[in-house]
Amino acid sequence: MSNKNLKYLTGPFSANNPVIVQILGICSALAVTVQLKPAIVMALSVTAVTAFANLVMSLLRNGLPSRIRIIVQLVVIATLVILVDQVLKAFVYDVSKQLSVYVGLIITNCIVMGRVEAFALGNGPWASFLDGIGNGLGYGLILVVIAFFRELFGAGTLYGFRVIPESWYIAEGGFYSNNGLMLFPPMALILCGCIIWVHRSKNKDLQEK
Amino acid sequence: MNKNSNLYIVIYSTVMVVVVATLLAVAALALKSRQDANILNEKKEAILASLSLTGQNYDEVIDAFVVNEKGEKIEGQDPIQLLFDLPTAFAEHTLPVFQAQDGRIVVPVSGVGLWGPMWGYVALEKDMNTISGIVLDHAGETPGLGAEVATPKHQAMYKGKTIFEGEEFVSVTLRKGGAKDPKHEVDAISGGTKTSDGVTAMLKTSLGAYLPLLKVSAVAPCCEACAEATECETNKVENNE
Repeated sequence: MSNKNLKYLTGPFSANNPVIVQILGICSALAVTVQLKPAIVMALSVTAVTAFANLVMSLLRNGLPSRIRIIVQLVVIATLVILVDQVLKAFVYDVSKQLSVYVGLIITNCIVMGRVEAFALGNGPWASFLDGIGNGLGYGLILVVIAFFRELFGAGTLYGFRVIPESWYIAEGGFYSNNGLMLFPPMALILCGCIIWVHRSKNKDLQEK
Repeated sequence: MNKNSNLYIVIYSTVMVVVVATLLAVAALALKSRQDANILNEKKEAILASLSLTGQNYDEVIDAFVVNEKGEKIEGQDPIQLLFDLPTAFAEHTLPVFQAQDGRIVVPVSGVGLWGPMWGYVALEKDMNTISGIVLDHAGETPGLGAEVATPKHQAMYKGKTIFEGEEFVSVTLRKGGAKDPKHEVDAISGGTKTSDGVTAMLKTSLGAYLPLLKVSAVAPCCEACAEATECETNKVENNE
């Protein structure tokens, strides 16, 4: 893999992260981060959809009438999302149940269309495919970090396993109580803001003058 | 060729739609049998789970039949197929019942939560009063909040609760702030009040539909409840059939 291609893949992890730098896909980052498991499966599903949407649109880009390009993008993305949903239902039924409505929500994820518009329509299929994977994983990285804090402090568990012992809770005679605010969407936004704050203070070139 | 001419756009979009439609139709048809098998299997597993018989062979341990609103057995309906559209099954008074070899029965329940449908399976002991186990599921309740009704932790609270107070049907209520009545109440989900209310309503209406069946099927401990010993004898005889 050439250096340029590698950059397409790894750029979105930090310097060009879709959530905390491009500020895309915030809406679903709020919805699916209450627990780690849906966040991880959502991240993988979005990665698959972004990668293949980029690939298909990059292949179609030369014959695409620009007047209907948004509609074509929507059709391609919606098709991929339905395929992902069908495959999950057929082969990993329990995971598909866990995700329920979120799979359908991938269609509305701004990252997918954002990358198709901004990258796939102007670049070759292989580079577009890598860009899609990179952006999907970059999005997933933020989801996992946010879900980690929300599940840990909101429910005292991680990936469904109990981390904070039952005996610490007030109900059991202890001193600890879960933070209910963690379970609500505003907290995801606050956490996301904190991540952006830390990220920008480490990456001086991202700071606006 | 002008890529923005009307003719090109019409042809382009027609071809695209046909290709996409074919692709989706093929995928849906190819995966349908697998998906249906998954759903069917899940329902059987849920019935076994409510009886704490997970891992056993459904066909060997469960005897399924259908009753009408009077609790009489009716023929010509597949109990498992009725589970696929429970609201209709309840509306048409075709009520599926799943009986375990040890005499316990499982009845399906169906209702609505905050965001969409909820359903579940309630296993009752032979007295048709004590809850032996429960499995609840939902289509889209909020993870971490309403969706907690589907967790083993929440469902464990129902075990041993009774749905009758003497002769009167009281169902089981999810009480906000914690259960007060140890016999007929469990803790509601904090942050999931609407979902909890949905479960309360679901149990009341769905179990209510089975009342005639529960009353004729009840055995043994009913002797405490029903005053006349003769009635109890008849019940026993019926159950032995």
